Formats: sequence, structure tokens, C-alpha cells
Amino acid sequence: MKERALTIVSIIAALALFVGAPQIVNAYWLGVALQLLSGIALTQSWVAFSGLTGYVSLGHAVFYGAGAYVMALLWQSAALWEILVASGFTAAALALLIGYPALRVRGPYFVILTLGLSELCKYVVIAIEAALESSGRLLFDTPDPVFLYYIMLLLAVLATLLTWGLARSRWGAGLRAIREDETAASTVGVPVTFLKIMAFVLSAFIPGVVGAVWVLRTTFFEPMQLFSPTTSFTIVTMAVIGGSDGAPGPIFGAAFIVILSELLWARAPQFYLVLLGILLISFVLFIPRGIYGQLTALAQRRRA
Amino acid sequence: MDQIASTQLLLSALILASIYALVALGLNLIYGTMRLLNVAHGDLMMLGGYFSYWVFQLVGIGPLWSMFGAVLLTAILGAACYLSIVRYVIGNRELAARLEANSLLIFFGFAIIIQNGLSMAFTSDPRSYGYLNSILAVGDARVELNRLAVLGLGTVASAGCVLFFQFSRFGLATRALIQQRDAASLVGINADRIQLLVFCVGFGMAGLAGSLVSMTETVTPFGGFPYTISAFVVIILGGLGNLGGGILGAVLLAIIEIYGVALTSAAYRSILLYGVFITVLLIRPQGLLGRSAR
Repeated sequence: MKERALTIVSIIAALALFVGAPQIVNAYWLGVALQLLSGIALTQSWVAFSGLTGYVSLGHAVFYGAGAYVMALLWQSAALWEILVASGFTAAALALLIGYPALRVRGPYFVILTLGLSELCKYVVIAIEAALESSGRLLFDTPDPVFLYYIMLLLAVLATLLTWGLARSRWGAGLRAIREDETAASTVGVPVTFLKIMAFVLSAFIPGVVGAVWVLRTTFFEPMQLFSPTTSFTIVTMAVIGGSDGAPGPIFGAAFIVILSELLWARAPQFYLVLLGILLISFVLFIPRGIYGQLTALAQRRRA
Repeated sequence: MDQIASTQLLLSALILASIYALVALGLNLIYGTMRLLNVAHGDLMMLGGYFSYWVFQLVGIGPLWSMFGAVLLTAILGAACYLSIVRYVIGNRELAARLEANSLLIFFGFAIIIQNGLSMAFTSDPRSYGYLNSILAVGDARVELNRLAVLGLGTVASAGCVLFFQFSRFGLATRALIQQRDAASLVGINADRIQLLVFCVGFGMAGLAGSLVSMTETVTPFGGFPYTISAFVVIILGGLGNLGGGILGAVLLAIIEIYGVALTSAAYRSILLYGVFITVLLIRPQGLLGRSAR
């Protein structure tokens, strides 16, 4: 009971800190906090599907980019919240479109498709933009950064609740069963294909909205940047480093990576990515449960 | 329409097919034997490409010789990768239980390390050099000598590899491992040694492909990814783990790509590629030659 109370108190304290942050910190640190929140939202969405099912998606950037593109196309021609919802639904529809053929079959097909998909979408968007004779889109009169920050906070909280709820539900149990042994799960009556596709669609929605918010923040849409494979890679690394079997892991992972990127990204971007690659491999090999999983395992061992 | 029937296009399709076959073979070998999906395969190619580029620039030796060095380099990398990481993952019960997902994450990490490592070492400028670039007339088509070299060497290497796995003792053992893993170890096949060799050959093939391609295309740190994707499409067309099917898949994909682009425009190249991929997944997920799902 004491531990549970401690958890709740620390969650409330962290939330209060994030809600109050715009009053306390300067614009630079607000930008860092925004990075952190978007990292949490994206990684939670990834964990909700890939973490639970074991079907590794290597192209989550495609949903992020698709959401951003919808925002760039519709900005100032509809209300903000309408476009945000449209961005989320576009990403989810895209997930349904590719998830249906790829998740009907088992094994590596899905991974290969996700890997290539963001590249494909990048080139499709570039081709469309070239046909429309536009090279990058500037977004004017974007909302105040503090307002965007609060939307991102909401998204991070929603994504965390999604993963938390999913991991505890019957549905989540079904997804974990798929991860451990898909044939066995299907034999005992888990509707594997349906669960996989629905979880994939759900895990695409939030990245779509995050992308839309992000393009409002940078006020510039450029396909090469928004569909960048680096985004997918960062999401995967955050999930693996933090722990990908439930909601707490991504928060640890996102915090770790955002701090690391603050230290290195501006000075040595390539070295930073090499380091991330080494970290990813090391965590898979030696700390497969991630920071959070390792901490809970240590705590349990101490208690026993 | 006579443009479509030209020798020029046919030759282009054959050259592309020989590259695809070579790239896909290495990937297919490792996947078939161990169910490990090497998403860093194209990046290993670029490693081979950079090797040949620098050997040509620094000592003036062309890829017809330096390709052996490229194979050696990547094969040693394959051995190192197998001995240090893959063997550990297979031996660890917790990691091996989710072998496919874990190996993917590891190879994904590799890909990022190779890409950014190359970019750190050699900047991200595209590199190319002129070698064997005199133009020959083949029938009514005109083609650079280096592209013919790619066609010839690629075909010989792919065919040699398939024949080797078809007829040699080692190849027989490998195919036994592909078909019946447990039974193969029961009859005394040393799985560990075969896996080590498969890693060397698989990685080495990537190095060879990269070395050959560097004669005709530019080499960049991030240029390997499209090859990885094409190779995946090829082996899915031919059936995952089916080496001979992979060759057929390579020819098919090259024909679709070259003639598709000739009929439409170069901008649709990658869209075509994924179109083929998704269509195959929808209609025949086990591949064109694959048996129906178990």
C-alpha cells in the first residue's frame, strides 16, 4: 500500500510540475520539455503495439509525418482541433490500409513493410508536392508555443493512459499472448489478426496528432525531415532503453534519450546516432527489460 | 512501342537482376538458416562500396581485384557479429525466446551505426569513380563495360552460390538445417559451424555486391537502404529461405522495375516496388514459388 501511495504522489507531483512548467522555465527549456512530452507520447504508442505484441515496427515515423502533412495542407482552412483529429484519423487509416495485408501473415513481412513504408510515403509526398509545385510549406499565424505545449502534455497523458489501460486489459493479455506464442494464442481462441490490426491502428493515431502539433511548432513542413527514419529509430530506442512491457518504461526511455540528445545532438549529431545504436544493441543484449524493468526486478530482489 | 522491345531495356533489366540476385542471396541465406532478418544488409553493401572506392582512389586498383578484399572485410565482420552477438543471443534463453524481434533490433542498431559511422569517417558526400567506362555496342544497344562486368560477375557469383548450396556437402547440411532444424542436429550436423559460415558468406555477398555496384553507381553512407528493401521484396517474391526462388524473384523485380519505369516515369520507381510488395502479400504471401502456409 505504501508503495502504491508513493507512486500516486509522484505521478501527481510530476503532472503538477509539467502543468506549471511554462510559468517557471524559459523558452529554451520549454522546448526541451516539449521534446520530452512528444517522446513520451510517441514511445507509448509504439509500446502499445510493438512492445506488447513483439511485432517490431521500424517505421513509426510514417504516422508522425502523415499527421504533419495533413496539418500543413489544412492549416488555416479549418479549426485547429478539427485538423488535429483529422491528422490522427489519417494516420490510423494508413495503419489499417497497410496493417491489413501485412498482419494477416505472420513473421517478418510486417517488419519489412513498416521499414519501407515511411520511405515510400516520403517519396509519395515529395512527388505530390513537386506536382503541386511547392517546395516545403511555411505555416503562418501558428498558435503560441505554450498552448502547443499543453496540447502535447495532453497527448503524452492520453498515450500513457492508453498503454497503461491496454497493458492491463483482456485485449492487452491477448496481445502479450501473441508475443509469447502466436500459434498457441490462436489455438486457445484469441482472435489474433483482429487484435493485432486494431492495436496497430490505435498505436498510429497519437503519432499522427503529435506530428501535426510538431509541424505547428516548427512552422515549416519538409517531407525529408518529417518522414525521417531517424524519428522511427529514436522511438524504438527510447522504448527499448526504458522498457517496453508497459506504460512506465517509455517515460524513463524518453527522459534518458532527451537528456542525451541535449548533451550531444547539436554538437555531434552523427556520433550521437552511433552512440544510440550502440545503446540499443547493448540494452537488447544485456538489459532486455529496459531501465524500468531492471529497476522493478532489483526492487523485488531486495524485498525477497 | 519499339522502345519497349529494345535490347537496351532488356540489358538494363538483366544488369539490375544480377545485382538484385546477389544482394538478395546473402540476405536470404541468413534468414533461411537462422530466421534472422538482417536489416543492415544494404549498409554492409555500402561498406564494400567504400572499400573499393578508397582502394581505387588511394592505390589505383580497380574493383575487379578489390572485390576480394571487400568480401574478406565483410565476411570477417560477419564472423565477428556471429561470434560476439548472435551466438550469445541464441544461447540466452530469455533472448532466444523472442529471437526474431531481438535480432531485428540488433541489426537495426547495426544499420544506424554503419550509416553514421561512414558518414562521420567519410562525410556524406556521394562518391564515385570512373573505371571500365568505355562504351560498347551490344546489338543495337550501347552499354558501359563496367555494367557488363557487373552483369557477368554478379551472375557468376549468384549461380556459384546457388550451385554450392545445392551440391556441396556443406550446402546440403545447410539446407538440412533450413528444412528441419532439430532433426539436422540429431544426425550430427554441427549447427554452430554452419551458422558461422553462413554469416561469413551472407555478409561477404553483401560486400561483393557493394564493391560491384560502386563501379556504376555512387556510394553514400545512407545509400544502402533502398537495396535492403529491394532485396526483401526479391526474397518475398521467391519465397523466404528459398535460394533458387530468390534468383527468379530478382529477375522478376528487375523486369517490373525497368519496364515499369520506361512505361511511366522514374518518379514512380519506389512506388512500383512497394506496389509489387503489397500485391504479393495480398495474393500470395508465401511467395510465388513458396508452398502454401503450414
